[in-house]
Amino acid sequence: MKQTPYLFLLPSILFLAFTSLYPICYSIYYSFFNWRWGDEKDFIGLSNYLTLLTDKEFWIVIKNTFIFAFFACFFEITIGVILAIYIDRIKIGSTIIRTILLIPLMVSGISVTMIFKVMLDNMFGIIPYFLSFVGIKSNFFGSYTAAMPTIIGLDIWWQTSFVFIIILAGLKSIPNEPIEAARMDGASEWEITRHIRLPMIRSLLFLVLIFRSIDTLKVFDIVWGTTAGGPGLATEALQTYAYRVAFSFLEMSKSMTVMVLFSIVVIFLTLLYSRLNKDL
Amino acid sequence: MKKIQKHKHLISAYIVSFFAIAFTLLPITWLFMLSIKSKGETFTKPPKWIFDPTVNNYVKLWENDLFKDTFFNSIYITIISIVLSVTIALFAAYALKIYNIKFKTAFMQWLLLAYMLPEFLFVLPMFTIYQTIGIYDTYVGMAIIYQVHVLPFSIWMLRSFLDEIPKEIDDAAIIDGCGPLQAIFKIYLPLIIPGIVATAILNGIWVWNELAIALGLTFFDSQPITVGVASFRGYASIDWGGMTSSAIIAILPMVLFAAFAQKHIVKGLTLGSVKG
Repeated sequence: MKQTPYLFLLPSILFLAFTSLYPICYSIYYSFFNWRWGDEKDFIGLSNYLTLLTDKEFWIVIKNTFIFAFFACFFEITIGVILAIYIDRIKIGSTIIRTILLIPLMVSGISVTMIFKVMLDNMFGIIPYFLSFVGIKSNFFGSYTAAMPTIIGLDIWWQTSFVFIIILAGLKSIPNEPIEAARMDGASEWEITRHIRLPMIRSLLFLVLIFRSIDTLKVFDIVWGTTAGGPGLATEALQTYAYRVAFSFLEMSKSMTVMVLFSIVVIFLTLLYSRLNKDL
Repeated sequence: MKKIQKHKHLISAYIVSFFAIAFTLLPITWLFMLSIKSKGETFTKPPKWIFDPTVNNYVKLWENDLFKDTFFNSIYITIISIVLSVTIALFAAYALKIYNIKFKTAFMQWLLLAYMLPEFLFVLPMFTIYQTIGIYDTYVGMAIIYQVHVLPFSIWMLRSFLDEIPKEIDDAAIIDGCGPLQAIFKIYLPLIIPGIVATAILNGIWVWNELAIALGLTFFDSQPITVGVASFRGYASIDWGGMTSSAIIAILPMVLFAAFAQKHIVKGLTLGSVKG
């Protein structure tokens, strides 16, 4: 039967069409309207795009999102890779270490916010309490300067093990011969890591970079659960902004326009990954 | 000399992992400690290190019907999502393994895109259509929209597990004259049971932890546990008992499940491309 394979794929295709193609088409379509809750929907062409792209607030949100993504990715990948390089040397107890370090990844974003809300609470948190001994009056979520770094910190605690686990698996899969040979030639551990280990896992480093950047650009839970974008616009990210525009300001079309623009970035990064992945 | 060098490397590795473990566990431990403190002891300064543990917060949480409902809602949504995705994905993964499919690359790219798309993109379109067809704020509605993430993931995972099955078994199935359905259920399914369990667990963890879509597409009847935990985040009144105990209840099952799927987690995180 020639149709059999397509029959087997059909349920997947139907579900994916309904859950991914339909929302994309719907969002693109209504991004050309001025739909607010209850109001009529008039076709307004590219107006939403033009107002958004000239809106100062929107650019602040974009800037915030990319600052968050850049610093979160940078620290998560750096720390994750360094941890993996060190822990790769351990033979006894490596499974238990790996299991423990994996725990944050299993915690939901909203629970992460609960953990750190109680730890960093200005009045009763344990960390402000310790900081008060050295005369620092801290305000982690409430101040303009501290809010963004704090949320980046939350993400680092939450997601660094993603990098660590993948890179560790990659390091473990490297054959021993070239490393032994380099060692015989008198290469230091650092040189071996720099010139043999890291180049051999470069496709994994690339995978980690793309996955983490897409994921951090999509940040929602840990912002919504802690500062909800504040103070002011200090931590507002694209997805929390789209949420607020839709559910607080009820500007449905504007919110969908934000998501269409954002999805283009995500689609671009994803295609970049699948393109380059074949060559690596 | 070499030996000393080697020991030094190993010792530094253990020191680094010690700090990493402390950094990982301290926040969760602190959360747990607060959740078993009585109301009076929660806010004392300096913090009390030795105290009479109490399960009061948990009892109170469990008597809170709103939260209890979200817990069971999450269980139902998770189970429906898993069953749906694994069943559909099994057929797709089989087709991708056995047959030459014309638009295979395009299909795989579509999977990756669907998997990566931002959550809030789905919320408004689904909100309106769910209202129209009457599955807004239902378990089924939630399980359907979650397929956009868990279905691609399941196809990847099951495909990579099927790919590990030696070629001889494919040939044997053909020689025995198995039809495709027979081959799937009699030959391949029993061989990838561990893979299916791992896929189900990893899917379950994602569904259980999902918040952004749930906020938009549930109102009361099918609110999941993430929304239940979020309901304690109030700014005005600080209900630390509720915050801490609900977060622990949300975290605990997933950490336990993850321990079972340990072996396959790297494969899961890299969408089947790395064995780990």
